[in-house]
Amino acid sequence: MSDLLNIKNLSVDFNTPHGVVRAVNNVSFDVPMGKTIGLVGESGSGKSVTSLAVMGLIPNPPGEISEGQILFEGKDLVTMPEAQMRKIRGNDIAMIFQEPMTSLNPVFKVGSQIAEVLMLHMGMNPKQAWEKSVDLLNQVGIPNPKASAHKYPHEMSGGQKQRVMIAMAIACEPKLLICDEPTTALDVTIQKQVIDLMFDLQDKYNMGMLFITHDLGVIADIADDVVVMYRSNLVEKNTTKKIFTHASHPYTKGLIACRPALDKNPTRLLTVSDFMDENEKELIVPPERMKKVDKVYKFNEEENPILLEVKDLHVHFPLKGGILGRTVDHFKAVNGVSFKLRKGMTLGLVGESGCGKTTLGRAILRLIEPTAGEVIYNGANITNLDKKQMRAMRSKMQIIFQDPYSSLNPRMTIKDILLEPMDLHNIGANKKEKIEKAKWLMEKVGLNADQLSRYPHEFSGGQRQRICIARALAVSPDFIICDESVSALDVSVQAQVLNLLLDLQEEFGLTYIFISHDLSVVNFISDEVAVMNKGEFVELDKANEVYLRPKQQYTQNLLSAIPKGIPKELLAEQNS
Amino acid sequence: MLEQTAAENMEAKLNDEINTIGKSRSLWADAWHRLVQDKIAVSCLIIVGLYALVALLSGLGLIAADWSQEVGPSYAPPFENWDYILGTDLFGRSVLTKVIHGTQVAMSVGLVSSLIAIPIGVALGALAGYFGGWVDEVIVWFYTTVSSIPGIMLLMSIAFILGKGITTVYIALGLTSWVGLCRLIRGEVMKHKNREYVQAASAIGAGHPRKLIKHIIPNVTHIVIIFTSLQFQVAIKSEVILSYLGIGVSGQPSWGTMIDDAKLELAREVWWQLAGATVAMFVVVLAFNILGDALRDALDPKLKGKS
Repeated sequence: MSDLLNIKNLSVDFNTPHGVVRAVNNVSFDVPMGKTIGLVGESGSGKSVTSLAVMGLIPNPPGEISEGQILFEGKDLVTMPEAQMRKIRGNDIAMIFQEPMTSLNPVFKVGSQIAEVLMLHMGMNPKQAWEKSVDLLNQVGIPNPKASAHKYPHEMSGGQKQRVMIAMAIACEPKLLICDEPTTALDVTIQKQVIDLMFDLQDKYNMGMLFITHDLGVIADIADDVVVMYRSNLVEKNTTKKIFTHASHPYTKGLIACRPALDKNPTRLLTVSDFMDENEKELIVPPERMKKVDKVYKFNEEENPILLEVKDLHVHFPLKGGILGRTVDHFKAVNGVSFKLRKGMTLGLVGESGCGKTTLGRAILRLIEPTAGEVIYNGANITNLDKKQMRAMRSKMQIIFQDPYSSLNPRMTIKDILLEPMDLHNIGANKKEKIEKAKWLMEKVGLNADQLSRYPHEFSGGQRQRICIARALAVSPDFIICDESVSALDVSVQAQVLNLLLDLQEEFGLTYIFISHDLSVVNFISDEVAVMNKGEFVELDKANEVYLRPKQQYTQNLLSAIPKGIPKELLAEQNS
Repeated sequence: MLEQTAAENMEAKLNDEINTIGKSRSLWADAWHRLVQDKIAVSCLIIVGLYALVALLSGLGLIAADWSQEVGPSYAPPFENWDYILGTDLFGRSVLTKVIHGTQVAMSVGLVSSLIAIPIGVALGALAGYFGGWVDEVIVWFYTTVSSIPGIMLLMSIAFILGKGITTVYIALGLTSWVGLCRLIRGEVMKHKNREYVQAASAIGAGHPRKLIKHIIPNVTHIVIIFTSLQFQVAIKSEVILSYLGIGVSGQPSWGTMIDDAKLELAREVWWQLAGATVAMFVVVLAFNILGDALRDALDPKLKGKS
């Protein structure tokens, strides 16, 4: 087996106003022909910088490859002149990005975008190139490729766009394909299809693949070997099977353990910080923390009365048409949803993008006005409340959003952000009392109370999400909707935030609706789970029932698409 | 395409890394920090500061108050006598003093027209962008109507109603220049009102005034700052043109009236009055232009190197 790519002692530095930041430190690994190497790490670990270095795309300045070699078929890419590098890039080495929406040019037909690559690198004439791109679209499984080649990117779904990106990447039959989180933005069922497709293509063209992701579940399914990066360093490399069975570095162990499983989980998820301290020294995890328990669904009428009841809720958006802009039809984002939720319990809401789960959450809080139906909260129908009453009601019901970057006002300090809800609802007698409460909130969500004078951009994604939680708690609500609240976070941070949500639920008796596309996360945190599709509930039951004995075909398909998080070889061994 | 996306990815990740190192600093402080690192921008800021200082002193009557005084012979050339270093005009008045007084006129025109345009532009733009619907339709109809009248015609008609003079110039320039700002603010507010932080404000029970004034407007203020810098130079140039056409400042020297006077003087090879006013105007307009671009880069670093 010959090596296609050898990375030897690679170091990449970035010059910033705060000094030199080493993004990649002395990293070495190989990518053999026809094999897939998984590169795993959290954001900021240097995994993407490594891949950009291979593509010769490190922006210089401020970036610079300070040491090491990148050998591609024996030739060093680091010292190669740009003109020669340009021939290799796109021709021998191709790359697929996370965001198919922004990686395609919106003003050109997809067919001509693929054709352009072929004309540029393969010297084809326009007619040949067009025919070849139709053939490529066929290979990546786009339905009706001849007609689809004439489509513009916005006419395609997310999964289809990612397929087009793959078609573009393999157009010149590259020897090495670098995939930077190619499936992170996709729904699970689409993710599975895309991964299967990439497997087939790798087989067909005998490509080497470097697959970058933060999701160990996907890695287990796809990679032959795994390289783990942490804080710019390579901490572990081994075969996928060994990584999952005999991980040696505590970070790797933490990374494997922090992903919630679909069956049993510990009462609180393990996190990387359970496995090592700040100086990367290994810690011994107490066995009781590791113990996995079955989910028990229990409540009693007195402690857990029905807090929220939704009756036949509809949210319809008018579709305008015709020359006069009349309403010709309605898009039924939420179409007759009913459920009851008991105090202190969590309802998980899962479904693929566009199923209406976010709209449902906002309609319950009347951030979007429902078209029809009732929302009964604590015995009162809140759909009838006027503006003023509704505003008072907001102290009882809160929401935590998905994107911790855009859900905090960048011009306000954390203190102002936390004090605002208290001001609005007259909580706390004076300023001093309010600030005391803000400090208390900061500590409750695991942040340093001294950081109140800071601004949101000075915090990491996980910390920002904690601030959002603190803001929601500032009005002492009983009910919180978490709308994809952990989806934008790294897995290890995600586990910490999930644990925090559970701790807070226990302490304050909170009731949650937890909306997510990630079925394993929903399973971990919820007592009951509702599966949503096309604005309606497909299935609503206790979490165990939905996951272990799904009744509907739709739920079964969804569950089978989730990456198992166990390498193929191990699965085969377990089954035999 | 590929390269661009990769670079954007990189930038986001790098920013994340840098952010965890940095000290407590608001976005305004960050922008200021970026601005002062740009040497050319700092020079422009100093030039603008000097002009402002001269204008202020002149406005307080501390310098150039005696611009109408005869200090030497008619049309004395420059660099011959310290009392009238830049020469004199027809009536023997010092050109330097007139330039200084013209600075006061120019800067005050920039300032007052901005003070008129900004409240109108921000208020209408924010209301249109935030509420949408019929409010938006009315405001858009209004500003498209205003902007479809040729600016110079509007100015002339305002001058006709109010009479000639500096007040007319203030009002005329203020009332014609808010449209551009209004458009920018409207677009930016539309973008921001759907951001999650505004929805989060709704969720904690904030009403429309609070969401608009406390949350959205601080996030579009950078547009106002950039606009002001560019508005100053547009206003200064407009004043010069209006005064040159004889519908602007009268009864006191401004750069425009000086250039107007100079059109007859050039035939007699008297160039210094024209040169004095033109150079003074050119330097400050250039400084404001460069500063406007530097401010844009500093306040919105994501834009740098693109578009």
